[in-house]
Amino acid sequence: MPENLRLIENRELHETLHHYRFDPGLDLYVLPRPGYQKKYAVFSTRFGSIDNRFRVDPDPTVTELPDGVAHFLEHKLFEDERGNVFDRFAALGASPNAYTSFSQTSYLFSCTANFEQSLDHLLNFVQEPYFTEQTVQKEQGIIGQEIKMYEDHPHWRVFFNLLAGLYQKHPARNDIAGTVESISKITPELLYRCYNTFYHPSNMAVFVIGDLDPEQVGRQVEANLSGRGYGSMGKIVRLFPEEPAEINRQKTVQELVVSEPIIFIGFKDNGVTKLDSSSLMRRELLMELVLDILFGSSEKLYNDLYRENLIDENFGAEFAADNNYAYAMIGGETRDPDQLYQRVLEAVREFKKEGISDEQFERHRRKILGGYIRRFNSLEFIANNYLAYRFRGNEMFDLPSLLQDVKKEEAVRVAEENLDPSYHALSLVMPPQED
Amino acid sequence: MLTNYSEHYLPNGIRLLFMPTDKFKTISMALFLHQELSPDLAARSALLPAVLEQGSRQYPDKLTLQRKLENLYGSDLAADIVKSGERHVMAFSCETPHDKYLGQNGDLLSKGMSVLGSVTGDPLTENGGFKKDYVSQEKNQLIKDIRAMLNDKGTYAYERCIALMCAGERFGTYKLGSIEDYNGIDEEALFNYYKRVFYANPLDLYVIGDLEEQEVLEAAGEAFNFSRSEEQGGLPATEVDRPVTEVRYHEESMTVNQAKLVLGFRTYTAYGDEQYCPLLVYSGILGAFPHSKLFMQVREEAGLAYYVHSRLEKHKGLMVISAGINYQDYGEARDIIDRQLEDMVSGAISDKELDNTRQGLINSLRSQQDSPARLISSHLDGSIGGRTYTAEELIAGIEAVGRPEIQAVAEKIKLDTVYVLRPGKGGDK
Repeated sequence: MPENLRLIENRELHETLHHYRFDPGLDLYVLPRPGYQKKYAVFSTRFGSIDNRFRVDPDPTVTELPDGVAHFLEHKLFEDERGNVFDRFAALGASPNAYTSFSQTSYLFSCTANFEQSLDHLLNFVQEPYFTEQTVQKEQGIIGQEIKMYEDHPHWRVFFNLLAGLYQKHPARNDIAGTVESISKITPELLYRCYNTFYHPSNMAVFVIGDLDPEQVGRQVEANLSGRGYGSMGKIVRLFPEEPAEINRQKTVQELVVSEPIIFIGFKDNGVTKLDSSSLMRRELLMELVLDILFGSSEKLYNDLYRENLIDENFGAEFAADNNYAYAMIGGETRDPDQLYQRVLEAVREFKKEGISDEQFERHRRKILGGYIRRFNSLEFIANNYLAYRFRGNEMFDLPSLLQDVKKEEAVRVAEENLDPSYHALSLVMPPQED
Repeated sequence: MLTNYSEHYLPNGIRLLFMPTDKFKTISMALFLHQELSPDLAARSALLPAVLEQGSRQYPDKLTLQRKLENLYGSDLAADIVKSGERHVMAFSCETPHDKYLGQNGDLLSKGMSVLGSVTGDPLTENGGFKKDYVSQEKNQLIKDIRAMLNDKGTYAYERCIALMCAGERFGTYKLGSIEDYNGIDEEALFNYYKRVFYANPLDLYVIGDLEEQEVLEAAGEAFNFSRSEEQGGLPATEVDRPVTEVRYHEESMTVNQAKLVLGFRTYTAYGDEQYCPLLVYSGILGAFPHSKLFMQVREEAGLAYYVHSRLEKHKGLMVISAGINYQDYGEARDIIDRQLEDMVSGAISDKELDNTRQGLINSLRSQQDSPARLISSHLDGSIGGRTYTAEELIAGIEAVGRPEIQAVAEKIKLDTVYVLRPGKGGDK
């Protein structure tokens, strides 16, 4: 076995992942999927909307970015000197796409033919930036329309209003695409500076999945990287403002044209910044269990609320965590947000008194395990999520064994800490008041 | 290479389509009850799956049912209503992980099938009807869902365009019917409707997974043992030849930031027609891909939109172009779109556009083979459209399409309705 190859086994799922490390520090993961027609590859950088202040060791100069640069850069990489990148994927019959989240930007394609050429094309266009005044200006118009589309999207608005309520300073409170105003400050120079920092291979990873020979993919990626003349890179230091434990504002209300009010209730997790990445993953899994036990469709609260017509099937709860921020979020559409709000808080209080039964814990554990296995049908799910875990410092394939390992008592403890009413906020989208 | 279904019939006449494959981590089961789409029946057809999903005789409420499913390793049960052409299909599905990934034989095929059978074939009843509480609760929920169409402005604009364009046709019926239609439905009427449709309407069961044919037949026969009519009534075909006399223009204003432009076209080509493959290529070149004319010209060249695309309603033979734009750019956007349509008629299509589109469509068809849900929905299209294509047949059909075939399609296509949702006052009723 080559020196730069490591095998990551998952016995439960019958999967063997091949992990290569190439100079100057690029991670490649290949998961063979015999029998699949589709091949899928994703090339990601650890650069998302929250990375808006940074410096690179040993240079003390700090760069501050207007909101929306990572997303803007994502759009602009699809254009190069030869024109439009979509076109060349299309010529290969491959289907490309890209997305930007809080903490990463990913470029991807799927295809059922011409895999090698498509993979080269992906690796090439992401490594060959081309930004001009003119193309930047045109993109401001397109992204301006994207921003407007989200401004009209009630669930998106209620979500970001909640984050802006929970956080005083942390950049997770800002919309991923920025604002029409913030993106007007973006210049080609700024894009190049970010590109040269965050698109160094040591800050990136590739995940490839399909009916493929890992060794061959390894050779191809290694060959593509070599000869590009990458130097070594200093450590990227991401600078985050000191976030106070206290929330920013308790209640945010926005009027939009909706059929009925939408409410999201959030609990800010102030313990998360002190955790190493494996404790973070454990906490996330425990919170997923707790929230499902508290608010899931197999439990009394959900069924009571549903019968009283206070929620619909889309009511739900989730926990989101990254290395320096985390929150629990509960909500949905409702005819009576005040009442639903009270009932959620009451449930959190009751839970702390009553705890969890063994039967509940086991049942929800099974549900999460089964859901995880079912998602493994999807190549996209595996590739995209694997890299998100990886960038956070986690091994996604550990989930089944971690799920077996967590204890009910831990779940209760984590819930106590996390669902603290002193650190909660609510966000409402309301239909317009009648004149 | 590409797997296909084997077809069987259960003792009561339900058609079973089984695809053995070890590709997936799951066992997928889906039952489809076919009904015609019509304004008179739509609310009942939408309400029925919603009520059945609340509980059965064996699992009398949602809580009990969900707990059962959680113990079956988070098996997912779903009941829904699908509008496809002028067919209204009640869809019930259950997906379980496959036992081999759980390190034990949990017998999830027969247990999952039994839950699906219980919910669809052995409902909870009281006093000769469904449980009254469930019916009124689900009526409320569906009325809420109809109103909630407003929340996603893109969907809302699309549905408004279809409703206006196809007013007076069965296809103009919204998939959940209209709010008024729910008033007249009670638990007894709905139960009678249930008995009638489950007895006489076409019923297809799909199973996909690493399974033996014999075990599937046994599990299905046991789970779906209710009696069925020997004669199954046919359902009317979808009307695709409604002529256009003049282009209709509708504008509506609402308190929004972005205008939504929706153009509804009639293609006069249905799923089973010889021209179906040319139509796929036509719409592909025009607007189904990021390399398509609309994306390239409206977005990449002019920078007017973030999204702009064409979509086919394949059974009704409609094509719909949608875009989100600044309202003041309406004229410019329309001009660019109209020029692309003219290019399609005149055959101003580059070799690259043609070839890229063929490849893109073929890629999408081959990719279907990797998703149980898409394997099922593409076969279901065959049942609805009255013609079953294998993936190979469609691929060969697409490969054979050239400019003359595309132009022939282009000449038939007629713009019927323009709908614009524009920023302004309104939407607060």
